[in-house]
Amino acid sequence: MTARGTPSRFLRSVLQNGVGRYVCQLKRISIIFSKNAQSSLGVREFIEEGVVDYARKNPGTVVYVSPQTCRIPKIVAEYLNGNVREEIITSKTSPQISELLTKLTNQSGLENIRIRKPFHTDSPSIQGQWHPFTNRPLSVGPIRPQKQEAE
Amino acid sequence: MSSFSRSAQQWATFARSWFLIDARMQPPGKIASMCSVRLQGKHKPIYHALSDCGDHVVVINSKQIAFSGNKWEQKVYSSHTGYPGGFKQVTAAQLHHKDPKAIVRLAVYGMLPKNLHRRTMMQRLHIFPDDELPEDIRANLTEELPQPREVPRKLSEYTQEEIDAFPWLWTP
Repeated sequence: MTARGTPSRFLRSVLQNGVGRYVCQLKRISIIFSKNAQSSLGVREFIEEGVVDYARKNPGTVVYVSPQTCRIPKIVAEYLNGNVREEIITSKTSPQISELLTKLTNQSGLENIRIRKPFHTDSPSIQGQWHPFTNRPLSVGPIRPQKQEAE
Repeated sequence: MSSFSRSAQQWATFARSWFLIDARMQPPGKIASMCSVRLQGKHKPIYHALSDCGDHVVVINSKQIAFSGNKWEQKVYSSHTGYPGGFKQVTAAQLHHKDPKAIVRLAVYGMLPKNLHRRTMMQRLHIFPDDELPEDIRANLTEELPQPREVPRKLSEYTQEEIDAFPWLWTP
């Protein structure tokens, strides 16, 4: 399929998140693993070392740890906008899972699709972006106050 | 700028500003070309035809515009009502007498690009026949644009020294 046929959107965040304060968009996370399967070894390790730290660090996120008889352990992440993402973590090590959790926490929950106009610079402007008041002579008070007083 | 945070600065980039133009003794065409640039947003470095970045323009004293030559009598504004025999032609003087905003509005409308954004941009043009502005519009104004033409003075507005210093060719 050509790039034009795939779904796309402009780069944005949910409700201008982060302009005033930042609200973590990850609502709920469930770690589904098996107590004895070999593919869940890294997950069990992560639950022993890292999951409590993670939950303490992210008070806005509910963390469920559910042992089930399953061969494929996974992480189900639910976001505030209703999107649900499932990540398979078969035979991943504890640091890899921790890294994946951090990534899921920082995401906005919008689907990962092609971004239109993915403009990017490695050297952002030092002066700052242009806005309507750059290079404009300063004026104090409302425009034309004298005229209105004279009338 | 330290007064904006980085993300709020992006809002400032796309904010609409309100310009004021005083049309007293100004040619309507020059007023209209200034207006059409601002209404389209072409004065901004971020201009893009699809990004709808036009500003608001407030024109005051549109009753006091000045045509050059004998355009008041010769310039003809034509319209057609759609009915048979409905072709109307009025001179600029007649149109101005009927509606003091019409000449500036038509001049700007003719200078805007002929596309679907034209009516939207026209809605951002605010014309007032005199210099009375509503309080909500005056509160929004951010800058007054310089007039394209220097306003000529009447003889009564010259001081006696300036009249005496004027080089006379003969003594009347």
